[in-house]
Amino acid sequence: MKKLLFLILFILICAGVTAAQTGVKKKRPLPQEYGRVILNNFSEKAGLPPVVFDHWLHRSRFTCRLCHVDIAFAMKADATNIRAADNAKGYYCGTCHNGKMIYKEKKVFESCSTKPSADLKRCERCHSLGKNVKREYDFVEFTGRFPKERFGNGVNWEKAEEDGYVLLTDYLEGVSIKRPALAVKKDFALAPKVEGMPEIIFSHKKHTVWNGCETCHPEIFIGVKKGTTKYSMIEIFDGKYCGVCHGKVAFPLLDCQRCHSKPVQ
Amino acid sequence: MRKLKILAAVLTAASLFVFFTPHFRQGLPTPGIAHAQAQDDWRSEFEALCARTQDSAGLPVEELKSLVERCDKLKPRIEKLEESQRKVYLKRLQMCRDLYAFVLESREKNATPAP
Repeated sequence: MKKLLFLILFILICAGVTAAQTGVKKKRPLPQEYGRVILNNFSEKAGLPPVVFDHWLHRSRFTCRLCHVDIAFAMKADATNIRAADNAKGYYCGTCHNGKMIYKEKKVFESCSTKPSADLKRCERCHSLGKNVKREYDFVEFTGRFPKERFGNGVNWEKAEEDGYVLLTDYLEGVSIKRPALAVKKDFALAPKVEGMPEIIFSHKKHTVWNGCETCHPEIFIGVKKGTTKYSMIEIFDGKYCGVCHGKVAFPLLDCQRCHSKPVQ
Repeated sequence: MRKLKILAAVLTAASLFVFFTPHFRQGLPTPGIAHAQAQDDWRSEFEALCARTQDSAGLPVEELKSLVERCDKLKPRIEKLEESQRKVYLKRLQMCRDLYAFVLESREKNATPAP
């Protein structure tokens, strides 16, 4: 009787341990899938699969500012409400994907067409969720020589730019506005809430070069005076503040030392 | 006969002069030209306004106030554009306006912007 009771108890404990390991764990995306954006405002309603947008490919060629300010893409998936008609008129994806623009001696394919005779194969280049579509650029091949990083898509983009592997375009004729050169912003330190944690060195320079000012202020960081916007790692992991980009498209929050980088005194 | 020729030449020269005078042309706009001018008007105002975002942190308070006011004034004109153009340019204008208002608030509190 005792043996049976012990066996039942043992099975229950094993089952409990197994259950605790599954179901709630979030699967880490593969490097080529990190930052992938799925757009489905209107696709399925129009009888097409949702759009699979490879953020890594676009970020290897253009600054964040160009797309999120000059072309007006929102910072959240599906928040832009892009319609095929917008693209066909030369806005959003259609700003570049218009069948006319030449990039590195190659014509950029046309994104959407309102013509009923539109080539479905072309539609599938973007509307590809759940389809076995061969991508024009292979992630592993494309980023093979780029400096490596531990997390995210495994690429240190900052270093890749420094080393000349990527050259980011920040101006599009007819779309961007000619502006005076950006004043170099100083990097600064932010104190962490947890005692003993290294201070955060915020690279204002790098962020302004890639993002401009209006990508972050005031939509993401509304505090006026340095230190007045109080935020925690919980909020950041929840997709607020730094978490708007980091953990989604920019290097993930698991890479603590990338931000908490000032040596503890 | 000679006098008539001179009169005709003078009248032709005068009418050509009057026709090519800007005031005269403004009085007789063709619909296409007027539309194109209206298009260019909002666009050039938009570009002038949003061209200052990069150096907004160094602008004086009065200029920032003026930029915010001009953004608010331009908004109704952009709202009248066709759907796609309206979506894109309203968002772009809003971002510029919000940044100027943010810097203005920062300046008035005599503090530096937080990240």
